[in-house]
Amino acid sequence: MEKTKEELYSEMSGAVVNMEEELSVQLSQKAVEFGYDAFEAIDQGLAKGMEQAGRFFDEGEYFVPELLMCADALSAGVEILKPYIKTEQHEEKHKIVIGVIAGDTHDIGKNLVKLMLSSAGFEVIDLGRDVPPSVFVEQAVKENAKIIMISSLMTTTMDGMADVINLLNEKGIRNEFKVAVGGGPVSRRFADKIGADGYSSNANQAIKMANELIGRQ
Amino acid sequence: MDVFSPKERLKKSLHGETTDRPPVICPGGMMNAAIVDVMNKTGNVLPNAHHSGDKMSDLAYDVFENTGFENFGIPFCMTVEAESLGSTIDFGTLECEPKIRKEVFPSVNDVTFLSPDAIGKTKRGDAVIQAIYSLSKKHEEIPVIGSLTGPISTSASIVDPMTFLKQLRRVRETSHKVIDYVTEQLICFAKHMADNGATVISIADPTATGEILGPKFFDDYAVFYLNKITDAIHEMKIPVIVHICGDVKMVKLQLKKLHCDVLSVDALIDLKILKNELENIRTMGNLSTYLLQFNNSESVYKNAKNLLSKNIDIIAPACGLSTSTPLNNITAFTSAVKEG
Repeated sequence: MEKTKEELYSEMSGAVVNMEEELSVQLSQKAVEFGYDAFEAIDQGLAKGMEQAGRFFDEGEYFVPELLMCADALSAGVEILKPYIKTEQHEEKHKIVIGVIAGDTHDIGKNLVKLMLSSAGFEVIDLGRDVPPSVFVEQAVKENAKIIMISSLMTTTMDGMADVINLLNEKGIRNEFKVAVGGGPVSRRFADKIGADGYSSNANQAIKMANELIGRQ
Repeated sequence: MDVFSPKERLKKSLHGETTDRPPVICPGGMMNAAIVDVMNKTGNVLPNAHHSGDKMSDLAYDVFENTGFENFGIPFCMTVEAESLGSTIDFGTLECEPKIRKEVFPSVNDVTFLSPDAIGKTKRGDAVIQAIYSLSKKHEEIPVIGSLTGPISTSASIVDPMTFLKQLRRVRETSHKVIDYVTEQLICFAKHMADNGATVISIADPTATGEILGPKFFDDYAVFYLNKITDAIHEMKIPVIVHICGDVKMVKLQLKKLHCDVLSVDALIDLKILKNELENIRTMGNLSTYLLQFNNSESVYKNAKNLLSKNIDIIAPACGLSTSTPLNNITAFTSAVKEG
C-alpha cells in the first residue's frame, strides 16, 4: 500500500533525527516521484526532523557529533528536493552574515549556529573564521543583511566584537542591523556591555533569538 | 621568609600534602600568561618567542617576575603539536595568539602517521624543550610547567574539526587509531619535557568537553586518552594537571575516572561543591578570566580572597587569559593568594 504524504513526511523527519543520510535521500527521492511539493516536503518533513534534533540538543540528549550528523542527513535530502522547488514559493528569506571574529579559528560553534539557522529558513552568509571587524560591516552592507552574528571562542579575541559595533556607529549605520554575539567565553553580560542586540548560549536558542531580532515569532 | 620554595609548595600541593598556603600559578599553553603589558615592559615579545628556546625562556622569566605567578609556563600557545604533525599555523601578533591556519587532513581516513617522536624533532618542539632545560637549570626553586595540548584537541587540529566530530561516531575504529597515534606523539613530547627538567606536565583539551562530546564520547575518547597520557607521564615520576573546559555537570561521573593529580576547571564551576561531589580529587582554579580582564584590581583581590576560602589545592586563572588583561589585575590576584 502506498504511504500517505503525512507518513512519508514523518519518515523523512525521522531519518534526519536518526542521522540516516541515505534514508533521507531515498525518502526525498520518493517525495519527488510521488509528485509531492518539494518545498512542503522540506518544510513538513526534513526540517521538522532538524527541529527535533535541536530540541534533543537542548535537552542534553544529543551533542555536537549527533547534531552535525542530523544536519548532514538534512542537507542530503534538501539537495534532492531543491531542484523541484517552484521559485515563486520562495518567501523572501532574511539574511544573516555570520563569522568568527579575527584572531580566532574555532568555528565549531559558528558552524552549528549556521546550520540551525539555515534549517530554520534564514539565508546565512558565512564569512568564515578569523574575520576582521571591517569585513563584517562591509559584507552586511553589501548583502543587505538584517543580522550580523559574531562568534568567538577565545577570550583574547572578544574585543573585536565591540569593534564591529563601534564601526557601525562610526558609519552611522548602527540602526540598520541587529548584532548578535555568542561563543564559549561570551556571556549575556558581555553582550550587554558592548551594546549587542542579541546573545545566545547555544545553537538551537539562536533560532529563537534570530526570530525575535527580526520581529518574527 | 617563606617556608617553602615555589617548587616545593607546588609539588606538595600536587600530592595533597599540607603547605602554608596554596600556590598561585598559570601553566602556559592554553593558559598562557604572556600578556601585552608584560611584553611591552620588557621588550621580549611574541610572536618571536614562539620560535626560539632562548627567547621563550626569557619571556617565561619576564612573566614569572612581573605577574607574581609562581611558575614558568611554556609554551605560549596550543599549536606546537599540531604544527609538528603537519598543520599550518598563523603565528598571530603580539596581542593575538597563534592559531591553526589549516588542518592538514580533511578526515581521519587521510591521516599520515609520522614516525614516533615527531614533535620533539621539529624546530618549535625543540625550542620548548630547550626553554624547559635552561629554565630548570637556572632557577632550581621555581617549578617549570610543560604544557601539552590534549589528545582530542590536537587531533581536531590536524583533522578538519567538523568532520572529526562526526567521525567520532561514524568511523570509530579509525578515529581511535588517529587519536591513539596523537596520544603516542604527545607522550614522546612529554618525555622530553620530563627529561629536561619539567616539574609538572599540564594538559588542556578544550575540544574535549562534556558539552561538545556528550558523556559517552567524553568517556570513550577524552577520559581514555587523557588517562593513557597521564599514566605514561606518571611512569616518568612527574605529576599531571588536566584542565577541562566548559560546564562539567554532564560528565561528573567521567571526571572521577581521570588519573591526573589535579583537575582544573572553568570559572562557572564552584570548586568547593565539585570537591565534595567527586571525593578525593584535588582541584585547581578558578578565577574568572573575564573578571581579570574587565574588572578593577579591588574586585580581583576580593574574589581571589574568596577562592582561598574554598579549600582549593592550587589557585590559578579559570581558563585562557586574554592577552589584554591588565598587569595590575594579575598582581592583585597573585598577591591576594600569597598573603594567605
